[in-house]
Amino acid sequence: MVVAELAQYVATGLLVGGVYALMSIGLALIFGVMRVVNFAQGDFMMLGMYLTYFYALAGVDPLLGALLTIPPFFVLGWIVHRGLLARVTGGGDPQRQMDAQLILTLGLSLVITNATTMILTPTPRGIRTAYATQAFTVGPILLNEARSYAFAMALVLAAALWLFLTRTDAGRALRAAADDPEAASYQGIDVRAMHGLAFGAGIALVAAAGGLLATYYPIEPSVAVNFIVLMFVAVVLGGLGSIPGAFVGGLVIGLVQSLTLLALPFQLQNTGVFIVFLLVLYLRPQGLFGRRARTV
Amino acid sequence: MLSITGLGVTYGGLHALTGVTLEVGAGEFVTLVGPNGAGKTTLLKAISGTVAASEGRVAYQGRDVARLRASERAALGIAHVPEGRRVFPTLTVRENLELGSYRRAARRRRTESLATVLELFPILRERERQLAGSLSGGEQQMLALGRGLMAQPELLLLDEPSQGLGPRIVEQIFETIDRIRRERRLTILLVEQRVVEALELCDRGYVLETGRVVLDGGREGSTFTSSASRIREASRCGRACWRASHRPCRDCSARSSGGWPIASGAR
Ligand SMILES: Nc1ncnc2c1ncn2[C@@H]1O[C@H](COP(=O)(O)OP(=O)(O)OP(=O)(O)O)[C@@H](O)[C@H]1O
Ligand SMILES: [Mg+2]
Repeated sequence: MVVAELAQYVATGLLVGGVYALMSIGLALIFGVMRVVNFAQGDFMMLGMYLTYFYALAGVDPLLGALLTIPPFFVLGWIVHRGLLARVTGGGDPQRQMDAQLILTLGLSLVITNATTMILTPTPRGIRTAYATQAFTVGPILLNEARSYAFAMALVLAAALWLFLTRTDAGRALRAAADDPEAASYQGIDVRAMHGLAFGAGIALVAAAGGLLATYYPIEPSVAVNFIVLMFVAVVLGGLGSIPGAFVGGLVIGLVQSLTLLALPFQLQNTGVFIVFLLVLYLRPQGLFGRRARTV
Repeated sequence: MLSITGLGVTYGGLHALTGVTLEVGAGEFVTLVGPNGAGKTTLLKAISGTVAASEGRVAYQGRDVARLRASERAALGIAHVPEGRRVFPTLTVRENLELGSYRRAARRRRTESLATVLELFPILRERERQLAGSLSGGEQQMLALGRGLMAQPELLLLDEPSQGLGPRIVEQIFETIDRIRRERRLTILLVEQRVVEALELCDRGYVLETGRVVLDGGREGSTFTSSASRIREASRCGRACWRASHRPCRDCSARSSGGWPIASGAR
């Protein structure tokens, strides 16, 4: 009986963790390639939730809607990079660039949250689907259908990213630009275009994760704050900039959140996450998948 | 092929290069030597586009490349094998090589280039699936050189390929460079501290000192031997007595054999 209960918590945690994983790899991709900490990541997620909501109003199933957020958000990310971020990345005094990036992405976050609140009002909205209230039964365990589908889609998208990064020329060029931008440019790789690609893809992934989340989570302009910290923790847990690391980090957070509920009330769900976070930082400061500081 | 006139480069007000004029003809093998901090790396970067020229002109195949970014210059067939190897550490050896042929003109012939490079450096075939960051220094240098060759370049810029390597590997690297060059009629601009070896291979040479060309082997001597011996003569102690017009200083005349004090020294 206890075992069954534990298995239920693990399963629930992993299902939620899959969506966290998808959010976090977007952030890790951006940090890994551009060395930019994108504080507006959660806000793009929120926008992805809204877009999926509007798709749903137009009769598009939110699982498909989540996928359909990818093209417009990729373009949006590309434009934000070209118009804003490209001015404060690549070349120049690194310290001043870091400051400028910080202010830029924080500012972007504020603008997006407030503009959304103004235009769409703070009223929470939800997407109603038939499957949100149903569950698959696997032995003694119940798996919520909406979360199961979201989990499966998150895995598929993460796998697609992985195939892109390892099997295509553009993906390898992206990793090369992350490793050594100067050497990459000597191979004919346009590093600025790679940054645009990374930012576009990073935003598209988090928007899709938002769309998946929207199948079971209320949508409101301030929803970002509940998730941005989790994404950061996942990315740091996994080793800064490591994509498999961020993926595992996301799963771990879902799992820990869920298991915390065995001991603590719902409001303290994130306590366990921070305890694990501090433990990992203490025992393995480079993160689960991070390499030790590179020796030159 | 490459024609540089009156090139100046500054780093935040500090002059790294002043009025550098240099010519590399198609199919030529030109060596650039000079002491640490002379501006050799800076010159190669100004050619491949990762530092901006503050004055002067860099023309490649008769075309001014000032407005082209580094990636666009690479696309035109300039392959830069940078100082310190700079392989992509988290990519496999195979992926590093494949990225060498990223430029469109080389992508079509990737399989063929890969076979050639792996034949030149059999050790890379053994290490194909290994991460480049885990290779030894010598292997990394071979990988960097192989990656440069994968681009099927018209102009190959080599920045101290012997740096930090043992004599056996250095010999192998130089032999390979010589072989590639003869087989492919490649145009090469080589920066080296190992003057003796470099001069044995090259057609002509330049000596760079504190950002200026102090000896131009192309104009002073028309034949390989005369310019090589002049540079060798001029570079015994690595001081001002390199200048062709100067008489050798005490250190230089005291040492019977030539050579490059820096090459065998600290680095
Ligand atoms: N990014 C930079 N910022 C400021 N100064 C620089 C920079 N790069 C090089 N310099 C300076 O420019 C001068 C030329 O440097 P460069 O690296 O071109 O020399 P080098 O001839 O390649 O030397 P070495 O033989 O040690 O490689 C040096 O005085 C160096 O300190
Ligand atoms: Mg140098």
